[in-house]
Amino acid sequence: MMTYIVFILSVIFVVSFVGFSSKPSPIYGGLVLIVSGGVGCGIIMNFGGSFLGLMVFLIYLGGMLVVFGYTTAMATEQYPEVWVSNTTVMGVFLLGLLMEVMLVLYVLKSEEVGVVFEFSGVGDWAIYDTGDSGVFSEEIMGVAALYSYGAWVVIVTGWSLFVGVLVILEVTRGD
Amino acid sequence: MNPLIFTTILMTVLLGTMIVMMSSHWLMIWIGFEMNLLAIIPILMKKYNPRTMEASTKYFLTQATASMLLMMAIIINLMHSGQWTITKVFNPTASIIMTSALAMKLGLTPFHFWVPEVTQGISLTSGLILLTWQKLAPMSILYQISPSINLNILLTMAVLSILVGGWGGLNQTQLRKIMAYSSIAHMGWMTAVLAYNPTLTMLNMLIYIMMTLTMFMLFIHSSSTTTLSLSHTWNKTPLTTTLILITLLSMGGLPPLSGFMPKWMIIQELTKNNSIILPTLMAIMALLNLYFYMRLTYSTSLTMFPSTNNMKMKWQFETKRITFLPPLIVMSSLLLPLTPMLSILD
Repeated sequence: MMTYIVFILSVIFVVSFVGFSSKPSPIYGGLVLIVSGGVGCGIIMNFGGSFLGLMVFLIYLGGMLVVFGYTTAMATEQYPEVWVSNTTVMGVFLLGLLMEVMLVLYVLKSEEVGVVFEFSGVGDWAIYDTGDSGVFSEEIMGVAALYSYGAWVVIVTGWSLFVGVLVILEVTRGD
Repeated sequence: MNPLIFTTILMTVLLGTMIVMMSSHWLMIWIGFEMNLLAIIPILMKKYNPRTMEASTKYFLTQATASMLLMMAIIINLMHSGQWTITKVFNPTASIIMTSALAMKLGLTPFHFWVPEVTQGISLTSGLILLTWQKLAPMSILYQISPSINLNILLTMAVLSILVGGWGGLNQTQLRKIMAYSSIAHMGWMTAVLAYNPTLTMLNMLIYIMMTLTMFMLFIHSSSTTTLSLSHTWNKTPLTTTLILITLLSMGGLPPLSGFMPKWMIIQELTKNNSIILPTLMAIMALLNLYFYMRLTYSTSLTMFPSTNNMKMKWQFETKRITFLPPLIVMSSLLLPLTPMLSILD
């Protein structure tokens, strides 16, 4: 099972995305987002990115999702929608689940899946440690490169976040 | 809105488009599109009423969907070519998805439904920015991937856009919706020639922006958003009735005005490539556009439109100073003799 751990984690990832895309109340969406964040962290860690996985837990789940949870708790309604309360939400969730199950069965049965890209069996996603990544870990070097060669990206992202705050304040300010 | 915040947000809209046009990395292009979208939302919502909020929400939803499709096309391109540089997109699937995403951003058929509704819900100045500046970024990406676009899809979308832009505008009396349908039709003309000679796409974009800018500024000057209100400009500033006449006929593509230049060049380029039926159809469908421009000129400059006697006087607010209106009017009507200068573009 451990060789196919990435595939299993990716299935759980997709199922939790279906869970919040079927639009229950935001507080339940946040719950499923925690699961998907944790599973996504697992996927990244399997590819050797321990730093980035930790970033997901700390900043995304521990920073942004906590703030989201507090604001949703302030703005919640009396009877929030859950997956079983509304036929539409349940229907969409089951539809997404069904499509994922069909895709998984298709992948497991046939040797090759050529939908958009070549995917030759579940073994394609198993991680083989070839051992030639050298002394440095690739993903730490990537993060370091962001702050040296990728300075423009940092400036653009920083400015986008700043303007994002300005835009949100402007939109919610009203007249 | 606080002037400093407004300037910052407007500059971010400009910065977003500049990043899209200047980047060589697909991810930066996507970031530029998102920055542009994020910053234009408060500009669309400048006046705070339910109509503008609804229009901004519709704009945000369609553009965000288009950005998601663009990201998917970028990732498929990455999987098949292994690099992030802007070149033509070699994989057909990625190319089709990217063309659909950019068509959604431009407002081409069958993704045109948001253009009239969003343009109608916002103020005239915001509509101006929406219909001119926001078209620059997607068109520049289409220009860069033009060698690899699937011709069937592109030409189908172009011809349908010209049809929808002409047909849809026929029943409109609201000026902003008329301009929106005019924008859909002009985008159709621009994308029709994209696969054959992308320089003409840029020429058409340039002249379209000048003409749309002029039209919107004339509308802003006379503070009119409906045909009825526009028909009272003879009372307020009689000169603008003549200018509206000239600019509208130029938008309809009549020689000897500048609006004829892109249509002429496009038809010539298409016939050089042995397609006769297509430019004939396009030229015939441009007549639908011309019809509703003529109706506007008829009610504005050629007749005194019937209205009750106490509505004939337009209330004189203080005169708006419109920058660059005279040069714009001159450029959007008198550029046709400069057509031989296009030979420098090669």
